[in-house]
Amino acid sequence: MKRAVVVIVQVAGLYGIYLFGTWLQHLFRLPIPGSIIGMLLLFVLLMTNVVKARWLEAGGQFLLSYLSLLFVPATVGIIDYFSLFRGRGLLSVIVVALSTLAVMATSGALAQWGAQKERSASFIQKNSKGMHG
Amino acid sequence: MKSAIGFIFLTVVVYQAMKRVYARFNTPLFSPIVTTASIIVGVLLFLHLPYATYMEGGKWIGKLLGPAVVALAFPLYNQRETLMRLFIPIVQAVLAGVVMGIASGACLSLLFRVDKILLLSLLPKSVTSPVAMDIAKEINGIPSLAVVYVMIAGIFGALFGPALLRTLKITDPIGIGIALGCASHGIGTAKALEIGKEEAAISSIAMTLSAVLAAFLCPLVVSVLL
Repeated sequence: MKRAVVVIVQVAGLYGIYLFGTWLQHLFRLPIPGSIIGMLLLFVLLMTNVVKARWLEAGGQFLLSYLSLLFVPATVGIIDYFSLFRGRGLLSVIVVALSTLAVMATSGALAQWGAQKERSASFIQKNSKGMHG
Repeated sequence: MKSAIGFIFLTVVVYQAMKRVYARFNTPLFSPIVTTASIIVGVLLFLHLPYATYMEGGKWIGKLLGPAVVALAFPLYNQRETLMRLFIPIVQAVLAGVVMGIASGACLSLLFRVDKILLLSLLPKSVTSPVAMDIAKEINGIPSLAVVYVMIAGIFGALFGPALLRTLKITDPIGIGIALGCASHGIGTAKALEIGKEEAAISSIAMTLSAVLAAFLCPLVVSVLL
């Protein structure tokens, strides 16, 4: 019971940050979604220790564990757009598949290259420190 | 009012059941979101009920999406040490992935002469659904369509990604994690968890970071180029 109250209060807190994010978005007419502004804000508050993780984390974990339930209603909205997938629209599925492979290849190859470079750099650093000290 | 509560109840019950189905079969094709949404679409079509009627209840579930996106700060915060340690390789790879995703999505759509409304809805496809919906709204795409493309990118990437990565000789946990998180968001991260803990941790960083970067870049690209 106590846990339920904690989760509800913390979800309300996260909702407050979300509302503040959308308020900032409208105030400065930003093209970035208010939810993302709120997320960045929370990340900065956590990193600077202004907000302690335990103040909001139980509510956050609760929302994230049900994340896919939360967008079921929006997904069902596809019911009004079936006609868009007839004919040429079906090509968009191929676009998404090809683009997904391109993203995976690019980011994966670059990450592997970057990580290996980082490792060899820190290896050289360690070794040269050893030689001088 | 009664039907609104009924639809909320229906959604939650079907979702819980489909979560169990997914736990049993454990293939991305049975992701709870895919099966749950398909069943509800089937029920609405069968009963000849319009989407607007369903949304009298459904909209209350969707209201929690905003705070859920805010809560994505936690996975990033919890992985802060890994993020700081590998900051440059992670950020450059994710940024390249996001740029590649937007560029290839837009170019291929133009090449195949896909409708503009579809193009605008598929642009944020590599990003986790709640953020993709918000981005689609921002660039005048259709959020419901955006979710469908996000699911296709997730499932396709999780099914064929590991083979692609093997072919390209991407075997480093950081390479695998970034690739799956960047291209296939949460579904890719679930796949990464099957491969290893480090892959999954990196993947969740990539997923969150790519959502943030896409939220900045998609509106920019659309306003400048399209």
